[in-house]
Amino acid sequence: MKTSYGKAVHAERLKLRRSPVWLAFIALPMISAFFGTFNYLNNIELLKSEWLSLWTQHSLFLCYFFMPSLIGTYCSYLWRLEHTRHNWNSFLTSPIPLSALYFGKLTHAVWMTVLGNLWIFFLYYICGRLSGLNSPFPKEAVSWFLFGTVGAVAICSVQLFLSLIIRSFAIPIGIAMAGGIFGLLVTNKGMGLRYPYSLYSMGMRANNPNLALDASAHLVNSLTYVFIFTALSILWLRKHEISAN
Amino acid sequence: MSTQNLIETHNLTKVYSKVRCVDSVNMQVPSGTIYGFLGPNGAGKSTTLKMILGLAKPTAGNITLFGTPVNEKNRIKLLKQTGSLIESPSYYGHLTGEENLQIIQTLKGCSEKDIDKVLKIVRLEEARKKLVNHYSLGMKQRLGLAAALLGFPKLLILDEPTNGLDPAGIQEMRELICSLPSEYGITVVVSSHLLSEIDQMADHVGIIRKGELVYQNTLESLHSHAKQQIALRVSHTAIALDLLRQDGITATQEDDYLLLPLVDDNYVANLCRQLVSQNISLYRVEKREKSLEDIFLSLTGKESSL
Repeated sequence: MKTSYGKAVHAERLKLRRSPVWLAFIALPMISAFFGTFNYLNNIELLKSEWLSLWTQHSLFLCYFFMPSLIGTYCSYLWRLEHTRHNWNSFLTSPIPLSALYFGKLTHAVWMTVLGNLWIFFLYYICGRLSGLNSPFPKEAVSWFLFGTVGAVAICSVQLFLSLIIRSFAIPIGIAMAGGIFGLLVTNKGMGLRYPYSLYSMGMRANNPNLALDASAHLVNSLTYVFIFTALSILWLRKHEISAN
Repeated sequence: MSTQNLIETHNLTKVYSKVRCVDSVNMQVPSGTIYGFLGPNGAGKSTTLKMILGLAKPTAGNITLFGTPVNEKNRIKLLKQTGSLIESPSYYGHLTGEENLQIIQTLKGCSEKDIDKVLKIVRLEEARKKLVNHYSLGMKQRLGLAAALLGFPKLLILDEPTNGLDPAGIQEMRELICSLPSEYGITVVVSSHLLSEIDQMADHVGIIRKGELVYQNTLESLHSHAKQQIALRVSHTAIALDLLRQDGITATQEDDYLLLPLVDDNYVANLCRQLVSQNISLYRVEKREKSLEDIFLSLTGKESSL
């Protein structure tokens, strides 16, 4: 017998059938990998650190521009399913705790982000090999992946909250895009660990594979954002009278 | 609370922007009945039903469902026994009818076999593999009813389920709703702004006007308020009134008509003969009935739609 959380996750999976939104997670990293590799090969005399140099070219646009927008799009889509067709009435009268219904959405957002990140590293590996890099794949990539994913979960929780309270599909995506770009400035000012949209790019060591990341601060801050925005979302579902119209 | 009432509200009130959309409503829905919740558009029907389902929070008053207070603590327990279709049907258009029902079935935790049963009840078996975006409005309404029926709850709350349906669709939906208490033991609350619809479905009726419950009783009792009269239009009303007075009949004048209580056919025939013999022209003799519509209008105000 399934738990409430299990039922919510299963129901969300059923809702996502025939939804082409995941294609963006395939396409945008491919574009980023293609241009990153192209750039790397054209500047190979200057970029001498092989895998690390290739990563700087792959990760810059991807982590600051593409990934926050992708997460924003996915989260907007997850709530759009309820914002349309009077689905709030059905959603909120499900005999399931509202927290479980929320975690069903968060689980899918995180799952898609993890898959997206795996795809990014797979493309990085393939592009490196095709570019003639014969040295071993950098072990640091495991840390980039793990911390990047934790940072992405923070963005997921922020974006899920925004898309829950804002009915527009595009506005939360715009906020995510602006948040990612602004994250570049915040990171350059040395305050990236305090800013949710920078936690992903810092975890991924975007454009800076030699960054000495304060791992514990990164984890604590990411989880704090997840906790705060999850609590806000559940509170909103419980206290706010959501109209289906 | 009475154990026979599945729903009871006590002074239920909802205020939106200083307007009392629902005002001290004491609703009582007996178990095993079809309760017609009747009122003009904007009278507060949907808001009341939403409060019963926990979709809107009462400003004042309280609600009990199955004898249990409606609150956050009891929310899931009560929703497990309740099916609903509020405002318009909820659906995911990119999925098939069957997939939509699978989502509800998963969340309700009921048997997968229920999907086949409810599709059969609403006669959507052949369209189960079709995307809901391609359904007609009537099919979407039936899918909404199927979703509400999943798990065969004890209580079904349907808000204007025939809205936007063509006459055939309305007839079909009505038949479906009427069969639910007898065939599945489901108590149904169905709202409508159409008296004729409630008249054909419900056995209990609550009439709401500007947020206030102005009438609540059996439909039979509402019918008993209907009154029959004989209406006469003649050339000399005063003479006709005198004749009636001599016969001990109290008549009232309304516009050009004299309104008599329902008298037998022989008396009407005699009266007509007398009038004609006194050279009074007889223009009209009609039997009038104060219909349910009249009663509804008198309860809800003339401006209300039917």
